[in-house]
Amino acid sequence: MATGTAIVRVPKEAQKGQVIRVQMVITHPMTPTRRDPQTGQETPGHFLTKLQLFYNDQLVSEMNMAAGISANPFIALPLKVESAGVIKIVYEDNKGGKWEKTAEITVK
Amino acid sequence: MDRRKFLLLSAVAVAGLTFAPAIKPAFAASKLEEEVKKRLGVELNAIKEIAEIRLTAPTIAESGANVPITVEADIPADKVEKLWIFVDKNPIPWVTDVKFTPQNGQVFLSTRIKMGETSNVRAILQLKDGTFVMATKEVKVTAGGCG
Repeated sequence: MATGTAIVRVPKEAQKGQVIRVQMVITHPMTPTRRDPQTGQETPGHFLTKLQLFYNDQLVSEMNMAAGISANPFIALPLKVESAGVIKIVYEDNKGGKWEKTAEITVK
Repeated sequence: MDRRKFLLLSAVAVAGLTFAPAIKPAFAASKLEEEVKKRLGVELNAIKEIAEIRLTAPTIAESGANVPITVEADIPADKVEKLWIFVDKNPIPWVTDVKFTPQNGQVFLSTRIKMGETSNVRAILQLKDGTFVMATKEVKVTAGGCG
């Protein structure tokens, strides 16, 4: 898969007021910035810096990260569902890439 | 200088050389302490460890490139501002910080992190009242994952 694509998994249905887990896997190399100890030359890394979780366009969680997170990050965050809606994640990396991915949930 | 004085002086000099490197780390703040101070604005040793935060991580990780960790807290989400994850001996000890809102319903995070070598993983919760609490777990790494 190409860099920046994501899979977001949520339960299809939930009860009102239930806390669900929003699980996501993002395809990304997450390489750190490295400096050669001999020459001092820097090799720039490529990693995600920010991830936001939205529920019906309302910001729920915001996560800052760097290359300390493993390649192809797996992240699970909690979300309290009140009504049927759209769960959206927006994420960006240090090279200006910005992507988003949505998932839908229905409430019994 | 007589022989006795010379021996005494050289003994002191040798002792000084041997102990100097051992004393040094006690004065210089570690990378982790500096990072915590810079990002949280508090001293690391002022943060209290509490049992309400459950940090789950393997005792022995096969690969440092992929260490699964899970943090859960029995503290209501509306009292929590942020969750910070630090790894003591990584080149950059700060791994991530997550902002929570009441809409989360719970304080929970599960992810996979990189670890350069065997060290402590710390989950620090920043509460709304400005205090910090933490949970620590040591993870043994057989093959580092930062290279």
